[in-house]
Amino acid sequence: MTAQSRVDAQTNLIVRVHMIWRILFALLAAGTVYMMWTTAAETSLWQKIVLSLTAVAAAGFSVYGGVQISKRNHVGRMTSLVLDYLGFVACFVFALNVGEFFIGIDALGQTFGKGLPYLGITILGYFLGALEEYFPGKKKSPESSLKVVSRWVMIGGFILFLWQVDAVKGVIYFLGKLAQPTGLIAIVGLVIFGLSLWSLNRTNISLALNTKTGHEQIINGWLFLSPNLIGFLIFFAGPLLLSFYFSFTDSDAIRTPNWVGFENYAKILNIKFVTLDSPDQLARDVVDIKIYDEVGRFTFGNTGILFAAADKFFWLALRNTLTFVLFVVPLSVIPALVLSNILNSKLPGMKFYRAVYFMPSIAAVVGISLVWQWLYNATIGYINYFITLGIEFWNNLFNVAVVDPKIQWVSDEKTALFAIIIIAAWQTMGFNTVLFLAGLQNIPGELYEAATVDGAGAWDKFWGITLPMLAPTTFYVVSTTTIQAMQVFEQVFILMNPPEGPNNSTITLVLYLYRSGFQNFQQGYASAIAWVLFIVIFGLTLIQFQRQRRSSIYES
Amino acid sequence: MKKNLLVKIMGLIVIASFVLAACGSPAATEAPATEAPAMTEAPAATEASATEASSADVALRWRTRPDNQEEIDVYSKISTELDAQLDGITLTYEPGGSEGANYQDQLRAEIAAGTAPDVFWIPGTDVADFATRGLILNAADLADATEGYTAADFYEGPMFHLTYNPETGASGDGSGAVWGLPRDVSTFALYLNLDLIAEAGAADPRELAANGEWTWESFLEVSQATRALGSDIYGYGASAWWGPYGVWLNASGGGFFNEDRTACALNTEESLAGLDFQRSLYQDYDVATPYGEDPEPGFRAGKVAMFQNGRWATPGIRTVDFNWDVVELPAGPNGTPGNWLFWGAYVINANTEHPEEAWALVQALTTAETQGQISALGANIPSRVSPEALDAFLTFTPPANNQAFLNGIAPEAAPTAEGPLWAGSWPEFDKIMGPAIQGVLTGSTTVEDFGATICDEANKAFNQ
Repeated sequence: MTAQSRVDAQTNLIVRVHMIWRILFALLAAGTVYMMWTTAAETSLWQKIVLSLTAVAAAGFSVYGGVQISKRNHVGRMTSLVLDYLGFVACFVFALNVGEFFIGIDALGQTFGKGLPYLGITILGYFLGALEEYFPGKKKSPESSLKVVSRWVMIGGFILFLWQVDAVKGVIYFLGKLAQPTGLIAIVGLVIFGLSLWSLNRTNISLALNTKTGHEQIINGWLFLSPNLIGFLIFFAGPLLLSFYFSFTDSDAIRTPNWVGFENYAKILNIKFVTLDSPDQLARDVVDIKIYDEVGRFTFGNTGILFAAADKFFWLALRNTLTFVLFVVPLSVIPALVLSNILNSKLPGMKFYRAVYFMPSIAAVVGISLVWQWLYNATIGYINYFITLGIEFWNNLFNVAVVDPKIQWVSDEKTALFAIIIIAAWQTMGFNTVLFLAGLQNIPGELYEAATVDGAGAWDKFWGITLPMLAPTTFYVVSTTTIQAMQVFEQVFILMNPPEGPNNSTITLVLYLYRSGFQNFQQGYASAIAWVLFIVIFGLTLIQFQRQRRSSIYES
Repeated sequence: MKKNLLVKIMGLIVIASFVLAACGSPAATEAPATEAPAMTEAPAATEASATEASSADVALRWRTRPDNQEEIDVYSKISTELDAQLDGITLTYEPGGSEGANYQDQLRAEIAAGTAPDVFWIPGTDVADFATRGLILNAADLADATEGYTAADFYEGPMFHLTYNPETGASGDGSGAVWGLPRDVSTFALYLNLDLIAEAGAADPRELAANGEWTWESFLEVSQATRALGSDIYGYGASAWWGPYGVWLNASGGGFFNEDRTACALNTEESLAGLDFQRSLYQDYDVATPYGEDPEPGFRAGKVAMFQNGRWATPGIRTVDFNWDVVELPAGPNGTPGNWLFWGAYVINANTEHPEEAWALVQALTTAETQGQISALGANIPSRVSPEALDAFLTFTPPANNQAFLNGIAPEAAPTAEGPLWAGSWPEFDKIMGPAIQGVLTGSTTVEDFGATICDEANKAFNQ
């Protein structure tokens, strides 16, 4: 037997092993489904369904992969790679979980402080090494003594740091946990999937399965995408679908949910408009008060229309949210546009001002809201204090008697929402300014020069060049600000006490769904609210897209 | 090339080291617990035995809501001491709640995720909701098997609710239900800025109370007199939640619920009368800090003469730089101040793996000795009806007039015990009631309009 034929025989053997592995994998997946429906009584129905579908899909793909491998088709290799890669990642996460790695992160958080001084030594070591740059003339060898000292100080400091944060204990504990049966299963899984991946990536196997360079590129592309894709599927798409399922149940997040169909959506959308005999006629006289509550009434002379809903809080929240959006979007976009034009000038100190205006965007919302809470305080807040001072000054100056309004910013239903609008607009404006600035800097200077030659003034240039050229940026800014504003929550939750505000004047959709889901144990209903909010946001964004397309500025 | 390789290797070492460091063991987590006895100078023998036994001990996590760092320190100290006292139990105390994460919301999320502590504190209003959903353990069997345990050792109001059996409607010893034990009790008093009251030439509320003349009328007089000191000085201030406005309804003979707590009673004549008087403080007489504004900064700044709050506000008020004291709430038309008996309870997680040990911990957390340590901080009143504990409470000054708090919870003051809603949902009821009352107190809704519609809405919070 020649060397080449030995290699071929070895390759054929590995390919056959892969075929067997694919069948075995499919059987294991099918066995998991069987076990789930026969022994796992504690697992809830939806979990069984999701896991079964996943296992059945894995089994199906595995069989398909095996068949394709037998045909020496590259699709079989690709399918195997995907399945084994996912299996490897799953086993890796499982091993970390069995070893209580994620709890260990909390433990590290607790002991991290103890190790900080030693981490300081490591940083000191780095600076020692950096000092070498200041003595270039004294460099005698490729590695100066300063470099060597720096390296050893860094290594020593880091070892001491690890010792202080109980890393050794952690490793021993981790290995101890992995030595248990579940941990060993995870390790065996890691080894099998790892070996499979390694062998599939060997050149002779790739060639045997007719893999071309293009196929390799596709695989590499997906491999690079995979961390984000897996994270997206697990932490975004998964919960999204789950919340969609919950919206059709009476889930309280604790007990097994019951399927209620469209009941949650029906309650949200159950509204009624009734003509009133007189403007002050009570709601109970015209609607079934056991079902409906009055949301509001529109009066015309001696009559009116009553707006009642089965869930009045949802409709109040929707009203407040839309009002909020209606004010916040222009208040945070138009000033940002003006400001960005000012900050785009070449005057000295502009970088400083750009940083200043951007600062509210990066500050923590909780901190900002608490500061504003003090500013807004009607009795000892600075805003009212300065208003009082201003009015006193005005009255003394002109000998008039303007009455101090003593605005109750957060405790009066007429001003409460406006107070939140001010904070949100102030906070968002800086970020929008930066986006506009980036847009402005992309406008070719030649356009302005040509306009100047044509005799255009500053306003003409702004109206005729800046605004149209900024259209894509403006569209992006308006869209993202609208979406962000529709989800207003933190400012209301921190600033208002209670968050709903006087007469529910600051209840918003996200606040209401949070209250329903996390405070009233109504996760199913909260999920339905979330999906209605999603539809509203989606609808608004769609309208913006259509308007933008119609104006055709974006495309051009 | 070499440099690049070195940088890569160093980078890998750093990442690997952090990963390995993150493989922290519970031993690392529990390190403070084993060190703590030494800090509190516990006997060396106990320390040694605790460390030796730790591997065989049952590990319990417990949580309560502290209001400040001082309380966290006290609870941590108590946890360390109980850890040494309770054989076979290792304790970990977790202070809950922060500015960004409300205590109850965080707890609910952890219960849903199955990571809640073995023993935790919940407010009295939440007991029914947690019990009926099966989130907390009914410790009746454990209590029955405990020598010397009786509900009568604690205040009657909290124990009525904590031993309420929703299936039979019975309450008290032998009812078949023990949902937990009260951590402490508290009640409202008026924190007085004595300097402002003296400056206004108003009568001293403490003297009026001692003479039996502390009524709504005299309260209003003192409020008006102090309010007249300046446009930025207020006679009265209270926070915007159900506690402060509830007392005015209670004191006029009304209340939130009917007698058996199965329906809304906010629209009764008495309730509306109480609400109307409170409304007049804000709208007609303009003596109160605007409703919905936090009055505490104003009181601490010396701009509010009478600040209604519970015992829990005392540690913060102790730092003010003017003369202050407390007085009980004024008596309303029905002759009582209508005060609340606030309470919260230590309850056992229904999913705990160690119910016996958790019950032992709940008992240990509610002994007179433990409650005395917490009361010494000044934030609350012991929940055990013990003359010794109450005598000790009177010594925890300032305020000088600690008796005002005890008067508030005395039987003759007929306080209404804060309580859960077994026949409905308290959060739902509160969600409807709070904003509606705020509407009245801020002047956007009339009392008549409120009375005409409130119970139509609020009754939906009860089981239909």
